Amino acid sequence: MKDHQGDSTKEAWILCLILGVILINFPFIHIFNNEQMIFGLPPLVLYFFIGWPASICVTWLFVRQMNKENTDI
Amino acid sequence: MISGQIVLIISLLYFAVLFGVAFYADKRRQAGKSLLATNSYIYSLAIAIYCTSWTFYGSVGRAATSGLEFLPIYLGPTLMAFTWWFILRKMVRISKEQNIVSIADFISSRYDRSALLGAIVTLFAVFGIMPYIALQLKAVASTLDILSTPLTLPSKGLGSLVSQLPPYVDTAFIVALVLGLFGMLFGARHLDSSERHEGLVVAVALESLIKLIAFLAVGVFVTYGLFDGFLDIFHKFFEQFPERQDLFQLGTERTPYTKWFSLIFLSMMAIMFLPRQFHIMVTENADESQIKKAMWRFPAYAFLINLFVIPIALGGLILNGGDTSQADFFVLTLPLSAGHPWLAMLVFIGGLSASAGMVMVSSVTISTMIHNHLVMPIILRLKLQTHDFSGILINLKRLGIIGVVFLGYFYFKIIGDSYALVNMGLISFMAAAQFSPAVIGGLYWKRANRKAATTGLVLGFILWFYTLLVPSFVRSGWLTSNILENGPFNIELLKPLELFGLRGFDIFTHSLFWSMLFNISAYLTISFFIKQSKTEEIQADKFVDILRQDKGLPTQLRRISKAPTIMEFVELMSKFIGEKPAKHAISEFLEDREINARGSLPDDEIPQLRSFTERTLAGYVGAAPARIILENYLSTRGSKMEDVFDIFGSVTISHASSREQLSVLYDAAQIVASGAELQSILDNILDLLSSQFKFDLCVIRFLEDDSMTLVVKSQQGMSSVHFGQSERNLNMDTYIGQAFLSNVTAVVNDTDFLEKPTSSEIIHREGITCFAHTPIILEGEPVGVLSAFSRTVKGIFTKSFIALFENLARQVALAWRNDKQLQGLLEVHEQEREMQIAKNIQRSLLPTAIPEMENVSVAGLCVPAHQIGGDYFDFIPREESRFDLIIADVSGHNIGSALIMAETRTFIHARIDNLKKPDTMLHSLNKFFFDNMDCSDLFVTMFYLQYCSATRNLSYSSAGHNNPLLWRKQQQRIELLDAEGLIFGIKQDVAFEKQTTELAAGDLLLLYTDGIIEAEDSHDEFFGVERLGKLLQECGDLTPQEIIDQIMSQVRIFTGLRHFNDDITLVVMKVLK
Repeated sequence: MKDHQGDSTKEAWILCLILGVILINFPFIHIFNNEQMIFGLPPLVLYFFIGWPASICVTWLFVRQMNKENTDI
Repeated sequence: MISGQIVLIISLLYFAVLFGVAFYADKRRQAGKSLLATNSYIYSLAIAIYCTSWTFYGSVGRAATSGLEFLPIYLGPTLMAFTWWFILRKMVRISKEQNIVSIADFISSRYDRSALLGAIVTLFAVFGIMPYIALQLKAVASTLDILSTPLTLPSKGLGSLVSQLPPYVDTAFIVALVLGLFGMLFGARHLDSSERHEGLVVAVALESLIKLIAFLAVGVFVTYGLFDGFLDIFHKFFEQFPERQDLFQLGTERTPYTKWFSLIFLSMMAIMFLPRQFHIMVTENADESQIKKAMWRFPAYAFLINLFVIPIALGGLILNGGDTSQADFFVLTLPLSAGHPWLAMLVFIGGLSASAGMVMVSSVTISTMIHNHLVMPIILRLKLQTHDFSGILINLKRLGIIGVVFLGYFYFKIIGDSYALVNMGLISFMAAAQFSPAVIGGLYWKRANRKAATTGLVLGFILWFYTLLVPSFVRSGWLTSNILENGPFNIELLKPLELFGLRGFDIFTHSLFWSMLFNISAYLTISFFIKQSKTEEIQADKFVDILRQDKGLPTQLRRISKAPTIMEFVELMSKFIGEKPAKHAISEFLEDREINARGSLPDDEIPQLRSFTERTLAGYVGAAPARIILENYLSTRGSKMEDVFDIFGSVTISHASSREQLSVLYDAAQIVASGAELQSILDNILDLLSSQFKFDLCVIRFLEDDSMTLVVKSQQGMSSVHFGQSERNLNMDTYIGQAFLSNVTAVVNDTDFLEKPTSSEIIHREGITCFAHTPIILEGEPVGVLSAFSRTVKGIFTKSFIALFENLARQVALAWRNDKQLQGLLEVHEQEREMQIAKNIQRSLLPTAIPEMENVSVAGLCVPAHQIGGDYFDFIPREESRFDLIIADVSGHNIGSALIMAETRTFIHARIDNLKKPDTMLHSLNKFFFDNMDCSDLFVTMFYLQYCSATRNLSYSSAGHNNPLLWRKQQQRIELLDAEGLIFGIKQDVAFEKQTTELAAGDLLLLYTDGIIEAEDSHDEFFGVERLGKLLQECGDLTPQEIIDQIMSQVRIFTGLRHFNDDITLVVMKVLK
């Protein structure tokens, strides 16, 4: 059961990594690549400066989960 | 502005503080209280050495000129940090195990420990680091000049301050000198074999903290002091420069998506493979678990330090009217021009921290690599005849540090002004990225081989040089621009910026593409087609499988406890008591028990079967041997919930464990099985361990129960008086105590990171670099500790090695148990021998043959339940035709009973002439027992008869004994002889009644002890007096001896397979006439 949990954490981890690569590269970031300001800020700036701390939180959550499971993935 | 002197003084003070911190950290480490091991923030902060002055000043410059282009340099590492638990941890684990200290070491170790590869990586790293160090020197020199020179005047720098210096001594030169000197101070004060510099790391962590604080301070100042928050800055900027909206767009001519991708990729590789990053993250890692925390802390750091980059850049542009020429130094000039020189001073210190940390760590790291991979091989090859190298070596290392810094200085002098900070940094990033195929491939692909890595690296290096360095030389005017415009020798296809006609990419994407293409293709192709050597294969296995060893394989294999089947018990018993009795016994046992479908007993019945088997065996071989037989049997078949010794059990034949390790286990098993004396077994195992794995000291200690200390039983290796030989108290303050008390192996793979001060003094004094203690466990309880120490190598104790180590401990435990059991058997044997003697003596105390008499016939038998017993009967002839018959029962059937029985007999025989009557005899016996045996918890019963064959007169007295049976032939009835009297020794003065009766010819008298009437059958029913009387009645015509035989056989039939619980004694007297 524990191993199973460890495995699924690892899988989620790899998925998030792939997602991360996609999220900070072309073509995905092209969505925000326009001149339309949002709250007076360029959309790309807003995207990165919200997405970045969000990704850090995700890592933090993963690490916490890992500590809880105490798995050695 | 602030005067140059003050800036210098503050800077030097700051360095002094850093040095103090480093010194303190080193002292702490030596005292065994490593800061790095205990504080995980230090590790995370030290990784932020990634953020150099390039980040500190360059990010703002890049943001002002190229917009979002500064971001990928930090987004890449954030993404990479996500993989650290897999990749970085693996690198750390390998490095600890293989004692790797640098990236050159790492790559060379992976590929057959190739010296050539190490040298190539080192050279590459030296060239690769030059631009980066140049960049730091440039930053410090420029900011120093800016800070100490009025903005309006042309920069003269420190030259104006110290005008007497020769003209070539500019600010950058002085900065290089100072940073080089500090690098030496931090990194090469003495030759440290470990190549770890905890002081340096702690200083770097402090620097990281300072630079973050400084940058946040200036960010807050610009955003909220000079402007009215983020939105205000953006608003004003777009109002003033509406045409510069493309700064915040990608896919533009300035920042195409390809470049964006290249930058992300480059920075991902740089965070892992820059020599200084490798040093901080891998070599200096004290605890793998710190990686987890760094995984989010470092990205958080990067995020914070970039939070104000855009506001400062835009603010600087707004205030400078859109001029980007000084954008690299907005961080400094904004507070200066706003009249806040002390904030600028803080910023300068922050920038200095960023530069100094990088330069010091890089120069120390690169110098170590030069030392290990360039200098040492040459020295070894030259076979210099000097006896002590250390003086030369340390100076060479110092020279290396200064040399590396000044290489950067020269690069700065030559290329310096032609590039912005960030571009110089990227040249180094590209160099670091060339290591990635060799390292990542080496971590995950076993086929990757030495030739492939060498070729890939060399090709990558050449292309890096050609597509990045050559253009930078051209741009600085060092080479003619002809080579860029027309290609070398006018060959168009070889133009460094449009190699093989690849056009339309920025210089970095172009260089990345070609260098990686050649590097990776060569690496893959050659790995694919060329076979590895055997030694290379082993190294490859060790690298790739390092994390796998401990996955899926429990470190302690516990054999599934399987209860022995009924048949196995029968087989065991058959060996000792024969097949038929065994089967008979078992059928008796199983009679009323349920047997489940699988033909075995329910689990809760097994213990009963076990004790039944033991009892049955005890009937044949004695209790103690029976227990030992059963214990031995059960433990060898592993049903004792004990880890069964199985030489390959915990190793689980994997490629991970080398043949070497398996053979050690096999040899150890042979030693244990040899059956030699315990001491020689222990010595041999330690000898094996220390010779096979080159330990400097191996010790086996066992717990001494009385003193509760671990006492050395065997020792192999260095003979320090205080170290190996000393006893160890049991507490959690020492590693050995911890191992014993917690029953878990304690491992310290690097004594630079000790957590227990008590141990550290002795460990450091003896120069131990790594050690482990594993408990010697028997039936789940620790009985001792096996320890191994090394002075030379670190990181010996990998998961697989610990498994081996623990297995050896189990074998030691087995040897120990065998010895204990042997001792036990010997002891039992000795006891048995003594018992045999006692038995013989006791038997000789009983009348061996009763003399034939005219009118009466007497026979007696005594069957002790155990070897000796407390029953006693005697026949003592007196004068004329009289004789005395005595039967007595001392409670218990041990030595004590036997002694009292002997005492009783002595008493009677000594006084027989004085005490003529039964009652007087019993009376004085009682007095004797009362006076002498009062502290004994044994008690004695006795029946004393006196018979005169001439008169057929029988007189008798009883001391609480079973009433004898009298068969009166004429009356055809059984009488019980009874007389008042108490058990001996209860009261001082007891009146023993004397009874008399007349016998007639044919009368039978049966004296017995309670062993016979309390004999039990399988239904726990007593044989009883009634049955005995009936039996006596039936035997009226037999001789006394025949009667006894008859009774005994009947009793045996009655009890079946049960044993007599008590001694049985019978005396039969028959009146003949």
